[in-house]
Amino acid sequence: MFAYIVRRLLQSFVVFVIVMLITFALPYFEPGGILAPAYIALGNHATPQAVHQFGVANGYYHPFFVRFWDYFLQVVVHFNLGYSWKFTEPVWTLIGTFVPRTIWLATLALLLTVIVALPVGVFQASRRNTIFDYSMTNFLFVLYGVPAFLLSLFMINWFVFSTFHLQLPPTGGSSLQIFTDPGAFVVPVVTLAILNLAFFSRFMRSAVLDVLVQDYIRTAKAKGGSQRRILFRHAFRNALGPIIVILGLSIPGLFGGALIIEEVFNYEGVGYATVQSAQYKDIPTVLGITLLITTFTLLGNLLADIMLGVVNPRIRVEGR
Amino acid sequence: MTQYGELPTFSNAGRDDSSPPAEAEVESAVVPMWRQRLRIFLQNKLAIASVSYLAAIVLFCFLGPVLWHTNQTNQAAALFQPENAPPSLHHWLGTDGSGYDELGRIMFGGEYSMTLGMIAGFITIVVGTIYGMVSGFLGGVVDTVFMRLLDAFLSIPLLFLLLTLITIFPRTATNLILIIGVIGWFANARIIRGDALIIKELEYTQASRAMGAGGWHIIRRHVFPNSVSNIVTVATFAVADAILFLTTLGYLGLGIPAPATDWGTMLNNASQVQPFYWWQVYPLAVIFILVIVAITYIGEAMRDAFEVRLLER
Repeated sequence: MFAYIVRRLLQSFVVFVIVMLITFALPYFEPGGILAPAYIALGNHATPQAVHQFGVANGYYHPFFVRFWDYFLQVVVHFNLGYSWKFTEPVWTLIGTFVPRTIWLATLALLLTVIVALPVGVFQASRRNTIFDYSMTNFLFVLYGVPAFLLSLFMINWFVFSTFHLQLPPTGGSSLQIFTDPGAFVVPVVTLAILNLAFFSRFMRSAVLDVLVQDYIRTAKAKGGSQRRILFRHAFRNALGPIIVILGLSIPGLFGGALIIEEVFNYEGVGYATVQSAQYKDIPTVLGITLLITTFTLLGNLLADIMLGVVNPRIRVEGR
Repeated sequence: MTQYGELPTFSNAGRDDSSPPAEAEVESAVVPMWRQRLRIFLQNKLAIASVSYLAAIVLFCFLGPVLWHTNQTNQAAALFQPENAPPSLHHWLGTDGSGYDELGRIMFGGEYSMTLGMIAGFITIVVGTIYGMVSGFLGGVVDTVFMRLLDAFLSIPLLFLLLTLITIFPRTATNLILIIGVIGWFANARIIRGDALIIKELEYTQASRAMGAGGWHIIRRHVFPNSVSNIVTVATFAVADAILFLTTLGYLGLGIPAPATDWGTMLNNASQVQPFYWWQVYPLAVIFILVIVAITYIGEAMRDAFEVRLLER
């Protein structure tokens, strides 16, 4: 198990470095080249001398791999993500401000999704091919086709502006606001949860269906176990394995979905920070946030694999 | 192949066979395989409804402007029209915030959304197929390197990558297509690589190799034809995804610049006023959601049609 985790960690680190390489190369493709940010930082009317000085000060004239190596050492050894010239703060401070907000939003939504989606999936599987199953499937199918921004647009219109007049989270508040003013978070959290609902319940349905044909379910039935006991004691528990993996793999999607929600609801999280910094060519911030989310994603995958190994010992042995 | 009977079924590649049966077998096969598949597809009523709906929308967008004359490109002329006017005899679906006729705008924006989505989706499938085939077929070091690269791509949330790229390059139609094409193929490549991995281990591929066939020949004659079914299915979903990406970008204010427009940009403009005017959002939203749902249904129906297990019903 230990060797397996170490090997997976090493693989993840390689992937991390590749991501860093890709994102680090992106600014080179900007029109105006690598010096484009100088005009953002110094203003549109910056003199060529000032731009040149900016370039020298930030080491823009070094070859790509020298710059990359410097950045690599800076991030991996000194754990320093640099300084944002849009927000005029260290990138770590920015992350400390913006990331917890998104994490609250995403975690609460994920929790709500799982609480609703798992029972729905189980009941659909146990009442397979009934009207309930069909109508639920079709409903979820259409729901799955509704894009994030459209659902947010509807939700914000129905629940905030026209019919119900609920509160929205205020902009620029502390990340702990969720405790002092939980009512304001209902609409964004519910929206994000609805977005993930179709995917999870559909997955749970097929996972439970797979389990229900197993021999041990037949045995349990033969022993006279009640329907409910079989469903929750045997089927549900065994179907949880795939769900754990999907939970781990859904982390990047969750951030992506949260990005749209943040834009629509004006909620200042990671998505908001990324859009802002990308528009102002604030490269240290974009790089820092991308690397952070990549790390989350990789850790999520790793955690999912390890959890799966704990649940199902056969996987560890043959792990890639 | 004859040892498997008329309809070969593989132990671990249930739906990867789409090659026509060899000449010798056709005499015994009563119905050609493609026709059986067509029949299974046509049995699915929702799929037929979806195809008809898509055809209707394409006609609506591309033929509609011939019948419904509206000004959609002249910004100055739009100034003389009432802004945000509710539906009337003159403007069936009202007007938008700049005074453009909403019904004509939906057609006009639909042309962009559909065309760009189709082309971008097509690019993602071509790139994904080549990458996946090469990786899966060559295997070994190439496969490892390609897959680690793919892991890296997949671990950056697509929307973040999309937003970064879109702010770097000027927003022209070509760039939008290229950017969505460049970031959309990752998942496709993984699926198609899985196919290639399975097919290259099958007996007939091995036999072909044993008879001295080169790698290119095997890819062209065995691996590619046998994964066509999966590629077509994946392509359907890829187009839906591309349209969705494009519309999301438009909604975030990063779509086609005015006076041209796409559906996402239209929804973005409509949402600038809250609560929004219903005629600027609901008709378009319904059309758009149904387009996505229809494409997805077609994809599911195709997956069923290519499912070998269903062939013998």
